Amino acid sequence: MDPSEVEFLAEKEVVKIIPNFSLDKVYLIGGDLGPFNPGLPVGCPRVAGSEPKTETEVSGLFLLHGWMLVSTVHADKLEEMRDLERKEDAFTPVPSPYYMELTKLLLNYASDNIPKADEIRTLVKDIWDTRVAKLRLSADSFISQMEAHAKLDNLTLMEINTIRSFLLDSLNCMYKLRSNLQPGSSKGQFTGLLIHKNLGRLGFGLPHGPFVTQKTFLGD
Amino acid sequence: MDTQSYLPVQPGVGMEENFLSLDDILLSHERLPIRTECVFPRLGFLEKSSDSQDIPEGTKMELPLWLSKGLYERKRRVLSVELPKVYREGWRTVFNADPNVVDLHKMGPYYYGLGSQMLHFDSPENPEIGQTLLQTFIGRFRRTMDSSQNAYNEDTSALVERLDCLEKTLFKSGQSGLNGFQSWEKGQASQLTASSLVLNYRKRKMTDVQP
Amino acid sequence: MSDVLSDDGGSEVNQDDSREDVMTPAELIAKLEEAWLNEKFSPDLLENKSEVVECVMEQLTHMEDNLQRVKKGDAKAGIHRMEIDRIRFVLSSYLRSRLQKIEKFFPHVLEREKSRGEGDPSLLSPEEFAFAREYYAMTETYLKAVALKRMPPNLQTVDMLKAVPEPCLDSFVFLRVKERQENILVEPETDDQREYVVDLEEGSQHLMRYRTIAPLVSSGAVQLI
Repeated sequence: MDPSEVEFLAEKEVVKIIPNFSLDKVYLIGGDLGPFNPGLPVGCPRVAGSEPKTETEVSGLFLLHGWMLVSTVHADKLEEMRDLERKEDAFTPVPSPYYMELTKLLLNYASDNIPKADEIRTLVKDIWDTRVAKLRLSADSFISQMEAHAKLDNLTLMEINTIRSFLLDSLNCMYKLRSNLQPGSSKGQFTGLLIHKNLGRLGFGLPHGPFVTQKTFLGD
Repeated sequence: MDTQSYLPVQPGVGMEENFLSLDDILLSHERLPIRTECVFPRLGFLEKSSDSQDIPEGTKMELPLWLSKGLYERKRRVLSVELPKVYREGWRTVFNADPNVVDLHKMGPYYYGLGSQMLHFDSPENPEIGQTLLQTFIGRFRRTMDSSQNAYNEDTSALVERLDCLEKTLFKSGQSGLNGFQSWEKGQASQLTASSLVLNYRKRKMTDVQP
Repeated sequence: MSDVLSDDGGSEVNQDDSREDVMTPAELIAKLEEAWLNEKFSPDLLENKSEVVECVMEQLTHMEDNLQRVKKGDAKAGIHRMEIDRIRFVLSSYLRSRLQKIEKFFPHVLEREKSRGEGDPSLLSPEEFAFAREYYAMTETYLKAVALKRMPPNLQTVDMLKAVPEPCLDSFVFLRVKERQENILVEPETDDQREYVVDLEEGSQHLMRYRTIAPLVSSGAVQLI
């Protein structure tokens, strides 16, 4: 999965905003939105607030100017979380299953309204790095113990996504190398297919030797 | 999003090969040391060192994997296959001691694939070979993972040069995960780029024009 | 591929009067997203959800028709258009990942469809079935043209079922549990170990083999992530 697709999912998350405009309720297919009244906090999916810089043609753009994003994330709280994350062996709960994506949005588009934006950025990055290091550690022990099941509570989609294809492909390879060990898994050894494939690569006509033909055409 | 004009078929890795996998086709060309156990009539042209018409019994020669596999039969002894050095006991001891020191590209480059294929031939050492393959993979996993997940925006040729083909593929998928995340974090993901399909299409058009 | 996708199915909209379960549009979109993620992450092709697809198409066409009548510069229209684009993205990504799997496993997909019992739900939608059959025929023709016709006559057939790898059900998947499950078998009993079972608590996340939880994916008890 592409990280932007994970972000796409994150954009459904509801963030609280304080609008400085008014608009009636909007009846969307996926649920209702609004109504918006200046100064009254209202929940709104992130998507309506994302990418304001690129979507200049969206007529709803004016909605975005002067929006104040109310962030529930504070620097001291984050510091606590970082320390906890470093202390614990397991993954600790994060403020949101999409904390990375939300941080990116909030800091990139509303950093003027958030105090200590830089500090928050560093703290979140620290938390992320600690968690990814743990993830790799557990991936390694998962492989080396040849486990078949792992519980991954509190792991977020973005984190899973960075290692997904690598880990799943490796597990597949390991599984196949492991099934080599079980006798009886050697089914279909000398099937017509194999011989066929190989003769196709010969590049010259069939030799008149006794075995190739016999095996190829009489099967096994 | 990565779009590819076609999905390459993955190698079979285990004992079964995938018919349409390019890696497995290359793998099947690996040469194995064999000894003939009966006369091969009129196949003398395969043996470059003599000019007789037949290959006599007891000749030692090298044959590609696909041919050895096709000719090998348990009941009727047509040929016997010797283990390539890297799967023999001496090397197995090295692998069991520290799999990370071995240059699998030089020793392979299809170390795992060929090793699994060797299990098709009856040998008392088969269980140990299988075990070593598995343990080697597990032992080297951490290094493959770390190098593929940490090397961002740098020359990776030194990191992959000692990897087996299979590990190289894994390395690439680890890199794509890392690169995808990094470019998202920097905000590059929101920039639109031309699909590789379109680019390749244009290239193809050019060659059509210029004969 | 693009043909199948761009076929927005003006015809499909009228076709389907048979759906009975009442679902709000919001639930419908949630269903589509569920199906999208499951399809994206499962190693095997899942049952088709043509009912959901058709209903979503219906909603989109309806909304687009309404938007035609709105005058330019309306703030609400922008929000609506944004939503339509998002839903359309999920929809095409869903259909695309199905097509990709059909291309990857076409002989097996067709085989499963052939051996399906009378009353069983079909794996492929009619359009997908046509796509799979055509893809099969084209691959065969191509192989014949570039290689097989130059082979000795007795080697001119390729068994596609053997040539194309099967979906690997033993692949691992990440999943989140939506309904609590007990005694899910992780590994069967072998000589040197007892059978290995786990309970899946609601809301927990796991990494395990697809084979063991495949039925739970189709029943909707777990969500692949």
